[in-house]
Amino acid sequence: MSSERKYLRFTVSDRIEHWVQMISFTTLGFTGLAQKYATSPVSIWFIALVGGVETVRILHRIAAIGLMLGTIYHLGAIGYKYYVKRSPITMLPTLKDVTNAWNTFLFNLGLKKEKPQQGRYTFDEKFEYWAFVWGTVIMGLTGFMLWNPITTSKFLPGVVIPAAKVAHSSEALLAVLAIIIWHFYHVHIKQLNKSMFTGYLTEQEMREDHLLELADIKAGVGPPPTDPKEVARRKKIFFPVYTIFAALMLTGVYFFVAGEETAIATVPPAENVEIYVPLTATPFPTPFPTATPIPIGNTWEDGIAAMFVIKCGACHVTTALGGLDLSSYQGALKGGISGAGIVPGNPDESLIIQLQSKGDHPGQFSPDELTKLIDWVAAGALER
Amino acid sequence: MNRRIYPLLIGVALSLAWFAVPLPVLAAAPADASEPGVPNEYCLSCHDTPGLTTELPSGEQLYISVDPILFKTSIHGRRGYACVQCHTDRTEYPHPEKTAQTLREYSLQRYQFCKKCHAAEYESTLDSTHQKALDEGNSNAAICTDCHGIHNIGGKPHSRRNKAAVCEKCHSEIYNRYKQSVHGAALFDESDPFVPTCIDCHGVHNIVGPSTQDSFHLFSPQICAQCHADEELMARYGISTNVFDTYIADFHGTTVVLFEKIAPDQETNKPTCIDCHGVHDMRKVDDPESHVIKKNLLATCQKCHPDATVNYPTSWLGHYEPSAEDAPLIYFVDLFYKIIIPVTIGGMLIFIASDVGNKILKKRRAKV
Repeated sequence: MSSERKYLRFTVSDRIEHWVQMISFTTLGFTGLAQKYATSPVSIWFIALVGGVETVRILHRIAAIGLMLGTIYHLGAIGYKYYVKRSPITMLPTLKDVTNAWNTFLFNLGLKKEKPQQGRYTFDEKFEYWAFVWGTVIMGLTGFMLWNPITTSKFLPGVVIPAAKVAHSSEALLAVLAIIIWHFYHVHIKQLNKSMFTGYLTEQEMREDHLLELADIKAGVGPPPTDPKEVARRKKIFFPVYTIFAALMLTGVYFFVAGEETAIATVPPAENVEIYVPLTATPFPTPFPTATPIPIGNTWEDGIAAMFVIKCGACHVTTALGGLDLSSYQGALKGGISGAGIVPGNPDESLIIQLQSKGDHPGQFSPDELTKLIDWVAAGALER
Repeated sequence: MNRRIYPLLIGVALSLAWFAVPLPVLAAAPADASEPGVPNEYCLSCHDTPGLTTELPSGEQLYISVDPILFKTSIHGRRGYACVQCHTDRTEYPHPEKTAQTLREYSLQRYQFCKKCHAAEYESTLDSTHQKALDEGNSNAAICTDCHGIHNIGGKPHSRRNKAAVCEKCHSEIYNRYKQSVHGAALFDESDPFVPTCIDCHGVHNIVGPSTQDSFHLFSPQICAQCHADEELMARYGISTNVFDTYIADFHGTTVVLFEKIAPDQETNKPTCIDCHGVHDMRKVDDPESHVIKKNLLATCQKCHPDATVNYPTSWLGHYEPSAEDAPLIYFVDLFYKIIIPVTIGGMLIFIASDVGNKILKKRRAKV
């Protein structure tokens, strides 16, 4: 059995195509689901790992371009295969695939003795292929709307855009789950099918899954040999047509990618307002009392006593600091421990005037007040 | 007899204050009204004279009068604090020379005394936009006394309107915008006690804004959420608290949340609440001046999406959850996938389970 024959299943170009779509799809899946479930801790961890949501979005879009280019190539490849080479279109789903699926299910349940025999593409492979086609169409259309919301809303109502987002995000979930469950089970878990990487299936594997195809190969059934001239003629038609088609598609991709500038790169200032516009030129918040001159007359009782209370009261009225008690006319004349406070008729001899004239006594008289005091003393320091 | 001892005690106290108890001791003294050092009457014997001024080198007049009544009605006056507890360098007469050249410089020197007692509040201001402006050399930036006053601090309880008016002194243009806003109008016209004033969004001592924190804009939805996520409070106004969920579910909000979690120090490149609703002039949604009312919405969108046309704003559902009535397209697309995903995936799982079961059975039979 070890020397069994190998059967080519996927050409190198098929395999490269698979690599491109696999990398694109995986990138789209990771970067897309991270955005779908953006507030979950796993997403936040992943987005931080990649380098932020903007990087995630750029990767998502690069991968989308990869998928689109892969799809354009694929359309060319199948066009070539079926138009130029006239290979049988083995991927088309038929009613037989439905019965194959049902009979396989019954076989698995033990309700049928034999597994249905299948050809080049089994029903589960066709299901996956067409699911991928469906998904690509939905994701491409809704992706265009999300990528180009302004262009979309020029032709369609705005509500289409959030609807596209719901479809894009739900279809993504469906696609990723389908790949993880259906694809992974059938080609990784059930048995490790390496043909997409090596290109070949063993006879045993062919027998297991593609018995009808194997029988055809063994019987030498294949595409009818074609006249090389006919092939050359088809190529002459195919390549120009495909070139035009690919050019149109690539133009489409260009508009997809660069068709509009959805938003400016930075949010403009939310408000343009002068911050510092003071009500007053210099903020100086305390209200200041303005001078209301103490009415000072020319006798002790007419203002002089009041002036002493206001200016000197803290030390020399409520208390008699240094022995000076200015609460009474007699106290003012008598003075404190240093001598007579007021000498009637002689301001120069009056200690209060001497001290106040120096200008640095606590409770300093204003020049005006001092003048009044001197005048009063000079005039004989009358009590009333 | 008492009258004889009293002056003696005062004399001793004064001489201590003047000569024996120099500045450092006073400065270290805690804010204790019971140990004033120099009695206020002593200071007021000069400073209660109305209209006293002294000229600063700049030529400006510095008012040095204190209205004793005004001071007594201030919080410090009512609690019996002494002049020298703030004016710690003015315990002697003659006073030390002033070094300030201008009035502003004088204020900037003096407010440093506030931190002696109000250390926590002072520390808090160090993170503020005002401190940042000061550090950058803008001497107009507000200091303690600009907002709180000087000798009249805490003279009367502040109404919420007065609090906004404190900010108006320097930020009159923003204040006028605020007055027109849904919040300001409710405060001034209806005396609504719940609407935010300046400090509810910007903080009190650690006042922040976009000029202080690069992240202020990014995290601004959380400021709005303080009230707009409060169901009880919002019920008073009939406003849904769902606005955040619908915002976060959308492209803008998703991005902002991710920036908050992953790049908190970066400026957001997507709008937050204020970019659409307005910063200080957010209006009621039915106000014709509202940025988000239907007739103004396109212009609001065009701030960031200059090419947007008339249908574009309808791609935003205005914070509504899509329902069968409001947005049937979205609702039914969602419903379609809510059915198709479980059916498809369920079918796959059932099929795979049958295959797995079959394989297990086969292995067992092979062993037997």
